[in-house]
Amino acid sequence: MRLIVHNMLTCNIKGVVNKFPLRIEAEKVIKKDVDFNPDFLRHMLAKIEWKALVDGARSMGYTELPDHAPALESDEPFLKKFHHALLELNLEEGSLVCQETGRKFPVEKGVPNMLLHEDEV
Amino acid sequence: MKATLAPPSSLISLPRHKVSSLRSPSLLLQSQRLSSALMTTTATRGSVAVTAAATSSAEALREGIAEFYNETSGLWEEIWGDHMHHGFYDPDSSVQLSDSGHREAQIRMIEESLRFAGVTEEEKKIKRVVDVGCGIGGSSRYIASKFGAECIGITLSPVQAKRANDLAAAQSLSHKVSFQVADALDQPFEDGIFDLVWSMESGEHMPDKAKFVKELVRVTAPGGRIIIVTWCHRNLSQGEEALQPWEQNLLDRICKTFYLPAWCSTSDYVELLQSLSLQDIKCADWSENVAPFWPAVIRTALTWKGLVSLLRSGMKSIKGALTMPLMIEGYKKGVIKFGIIACQKPL
Repeated sequence: MRLIVHNMLTCNIKGVVNKFPLRIEAEKVIKKDVDFNPDFLRHMLAKIEWKALVDGARSMGYTELPDHAPALESDEPFLKKFHHALLELNLEEGSLVCQETGRKFPVEKGVPNMLLHEDEV
Repeated sequence: MKATLAPPSSLISLPRHKVSSLRSPSLLLQSQRLSSALMTTTATRGSVAVTAAATSSAEALREGIAEFYNETSGLWEEIWGDHMHHGFYDPDSSVQLSDSGHREAQIRMIEESLRFAGVTEEEKKIKRVVDVGCGIGGSSRYIASKFGAECIGITLSPVQAKRANDLAAAQSLSHKVSFQVADALDQPFEDGIFDLVWSMESGEHMPDKAKFVKELVRVTAPGGRIIIVTWCHRNLSQGEEALQPWEQNLLDRICKTFYLPAWCSTSDYVELLQSLSLQDIKCADWSENVAPFWPAVIRTALTWKGLVSLLRSGMKSIKGALTMPLMIEGYKKGVIKFGIIACQKPL
């Protein structure tokens, strides 16, 4: 699971208010190269929840992202860090944790399992 | 907001029956749950058992679907490739197609569906897509490439999700598409984030059609489009409360093997969308356009390679193969329809 996806996933348990973001508990993180595409990254910058990305990246062991996205988005060193955090860090094994209920959604072989139990629906 | 049906040519004309939520078997499932909830004030253990049975059968269905696809996906991919849906053919095409002809037909199905929904003219607006019941991600990867959009796919099968991700990586699409295990009836996304909500032959598996449609609508962005392509049973006529027993029997036999909970009709979907105030609702019967598909699938199953692969795959695959003639029978007798329903969420 890459952080670009984590940035969209919510806890959908019935009644939960604080559904986003899910906290990451990383057990195995793999880095996979992805082609650098500055246009795509600039476009994504507008849509990304920045704090969730920064916290998510830290949970996966990457601390180079600034706390706030810089005003000058064409700054290439920044885009490279953004690219790495957003697309190249892969959570292979671990959990996504609901901040409100503590419920853990497992991530196995890079695939998050967001299925709810009967009593959560 | 008034729902409008788009003008004619390929549209079936819907019987103008009044909106009745108890018409079709699958919507009946919903009402059964409601009535058992009402019973709790009068009876205690009996009704709890009924409710428990209803919910645990939903879990059992989910597991059944996951296991079915865990087992059969590899086999399907080996023989048919990464699109796990019908091909779209010109009606009455009796041409014996090659394997690549069928694959082209599967891609044509995607293109025809997009065109039917009026999506092709709006390419620039399609930024985020969800593929509900994504299989091994054929549609997702195709649509992501076509529109340059981000596509998220959800499936109940962990095997499919992993395979879909691997294929995306192999096609250098990892930044654009990703796949998760999630339930279409409880999608793990915020409201209104997808410009295109795509359900290609997954609606058949949904036990609660009303909830399924509600979720599709919830995650659609204002102005976004929903496309549902699905197997249905024929529309019921005026005054008809249910399918004929022989028709129901045929569908039941298919349901068991393919883990389909219950069938509804195309007009049931239209009614659900109307009730949720979607606009520009269109539907069509494409049964004639998919007629060559099952015979072709059976032919591939009967090849030496097909048979060996089936035997290797296991009982679910074998049973699935044995059930395919029932699909042909269903289509021939007009019980099973291949339908498309498209609409737009108001701004």
